[in-house]
Amino acid sequence: MRLQSLLPQVCLLLSALQSGAVAASWTFADGSISVAAKGAGVGGGFKETLTPSKPLTTPVKLGSADTLKVILTTQEGQSAKRPHQAFLLLQDPAKKLDVSYPFSIKESGKAKVELSHKDLPLQLLRSSYPLSASIVIASFGSAEGYNSKAFPLTIELDPNVPIPVAEKPLRYGKLPEIHHIFRPDPQSPNVVISLVFLGAVLATVPALLGAFLYLGGNINHLGKALSSAPVSHTLFLGSIVGIEGVFFLYYTVWNLFKTLPVLLALGVVAFLSGSRALTEVQERRLAGLR
Amino acid sequence: MRLFSSLCLLLLALLSVVSGRSAVGDRVLVILEDESQKGLYSKFWADLEDRDFKLSFESPRNEQLSLFRHGQLAYEHLILTPPKSKGYGPTLTPKILLDYVNAGGNVLLGLSSESGTPSAVSSLLLEFDISLSPDKHSIVVDHFNYDKVSAAEKHDVLLVERPGQLRPDVVNFFGGEGTLAVPRAVGQTLGPAIPLIAPILKAPMTAYAYNPGEEAQSVEEPFATGSQLNIVSAMQARNSARFTVLGSLEMLQDKWFGATVQLPGGKTSKTVNQEFVKQLTEWTFQEVGVLKVFSVQHYQITTASEPSQNTTQIWEYNPEMYRIKNDVKFSIEIGQYDRTHYVPFVVPDTDALQLEFTMLSPFHRLPLTPSTTTDNSTIYSTTFTTPDQHGIFAFKVNYKRPFLTPIEERHQVTVRHFAHDEWPRSWAITGAWPWVGGLWSVIVGFLLFVLLWLYSEPPKEEIERRRALSVSTS
Repeated sequence: MRLQSLLPQVCLLLSALQSGAVAASWTFADGSISVAAKGAGVGGGFKETLTPSKPLTTPVKLGSADTLKVILTTQEGQSAKRPHQAFLLLQDPAKKLDVSYPFSIKESGKAKVELSHKDLPLQLLRSSYPLSASIVIASFGSAEGYNSKAFPLTIELDPNVPIPVAEKPLRYGKLPEIHHIFRPDPQSPNVVISLVFLGAVLATVPALLGAFLYLGGNINHLGKALSSAPVSHTLFLGSIVGIEGVFFLYYTVWNLFKTLPVLLALGVVAFLSGSRALTEVQERRLAGLR
Repeated sequence: MRLFSSLCLLLLALLSVVSGRSAVGDRVLVILEDESQKGLYSKFWADLEDRDFKLSFESPRNEQLSLFRHGQLAYEHLILTPPKSKGYGPTLTPKILLDYVNAGGNVLLGLSSESGTPSAVSSLLLEFDISLSPDKHSIVVDHFNYDKVSAAEKHDVLLVERPGQLRPDVVNFFGGEGTLAVPRAVGQTLGPAIPLIAPILKAPMTAYAYNPGEEAQSVEEPFATGSQLNIVSAMQARNSARFTVLGSLEMLQDKWFGATVQLPGGKTSKTVNQEFVKQLTEWTFQEVGVLKVFSVQHYQITTASEPSQNTTQIWEYNPEMYRIKNDVKFSIEIGQYDRTHYVPFVVPDTDALQLEFTMLSPFHRLPLTPSTTTDNSTIYSTTFTTPDQHGIFAFKVNYKRPFLTPIEERHQVTVRHFAHDEWPRSWAITGAWPWVGGLWSVIVGFLLFVLLWLYSEPPKEEIERRRALSVSTS
């Protein structure tokens, strides 16, 4: 008796459970998307209806002064209901970035979200590809959530309004290679040019000698000088040639410390012998020989 | 060199005596307020003990508790479980924990949305630029990737794939096949500015964080959504101390190790929490990803055609001085610690180990290429010419990458100018020949003039004229 009265109740409960399990799927109705330009008034701009699981194919353009508005009514099965999660999910497929904008929902399931440039992060604002916008509606319990692409979104930047450059944060990684650029080595002119000028410079020595001879230069007094003061003349002339020789050695192999003492010694010899030798020259002058 | 290698061996021997599996040490302190919860994590403790870690369990209420002994770390590793009260108490203040990290201690911080996150922990994490939701009991849910078996109603057990590579040039220590169960996680967001922090496990795209108290309404201002929400994140300090924030401590419990889970509309599968947690603790406790520089060497390369003037100087290693435009070879020996010993370190193909030769700013930044491999290390080397700028330079290897211990080697050398006798001689420079020739022709001309001055006899008529002049004046 008692069992009989319970049976219909159990049946009812079972059917209720079953219907709950089957009907549970979130979706939306009365969806619309509109882009209103600032000051365009009612009816101006872009407007399109949104149907679940049928994404728009043409990208929605969002200018810098525009406001994008998505309105829809969330439904669980056929009845309007407020879910816990209702997001407009923007994805940048190239950079694998995503950001969600929650709808503001009334108890009746009427949901609305507005989006303009200032809401978007800089990384998405500068994206060169169309962003993909999805609508996500889901809640707790067994009802299956809705997550489907709704429309592609192209961000149109105003070239007159500079958007701040996203400051690239420091990340550890490989840095660009640097190869030092060396200053160019000093260059010599063509060796032929150098040789021509060297020849010209060296040709001055025979030219000088020729000029001396032409003007009557001679060394006729050499014998006379050597006979009257042989030691001092030899030493004086030798020391002068020696000093030049020391300079040549300094130029080729010697260093300064080797050069200076020898130069000093030769200088003393040249000074002492030079005064004698020049006295002899003076005697010749006083004798009227020159 | 021999002395150095024997020193290295000694050090290695010492290291292996000190620690079992970790590169730094094997003492682990577990802060567990409720002793009765220890049993829930028995497989986790067993895993750690299998890897030769010595676990000590302490309650944060223990006033004798100290992370330091005689100014040194008393424990190399620290596992923090969420406290019941507002914080960990006076023995584990955020300041002490920061000091611990600064001294090189590794921390695994477990969070749980059930017991809530104390504000002391939030403020500690803020020091690393890791932020938690201002709601104490914030929880991460995902209505698309949840476990149907255990959380059919609340959707708070997330099923997440094991993480992939963070960046193409970063080593992935946490990869692999399989699904992870993340029960009742606390999501974190990472600040953009600090390169020391890195996400390990991100939430799925449809996930979001909310406060369970506001379950009846719809979520309007979530703390964070999608992949901006991190479940596990890591901070590696410059001293290579590692700090891992595990959003869901419950992941470590026995019941989630190999638990059977099912995605909505998907097949049932076993979770791989055990493997992932092993990877996570291996990284946190410095069993993997520890780099060590064994030696650094640089020397001048002399070409065989130039006979060396000073043989001892040529073969000197690591000289203090180079000349500009010297050819220099630089090599660095790096090993990577891999659980029990050092193995040769291999730089990923997409990455590069770079040498900088710098004075204020780098003059050269060159990739180092592996030249030799030993049992424990790889020798990376490169050759280059010192720049034509004298000054105090430094060889710098600055290799900092996420999840690898930072390498910062700096070796200062002087780069001097050419000495006066190192320039080419003037006769070797063709452009100087006219000038050199001019000099010597002047000298020859001077000698001719001296001869002429000393020994020239004036012409006869000139003598006559002079004599007449001298007579008339006197």
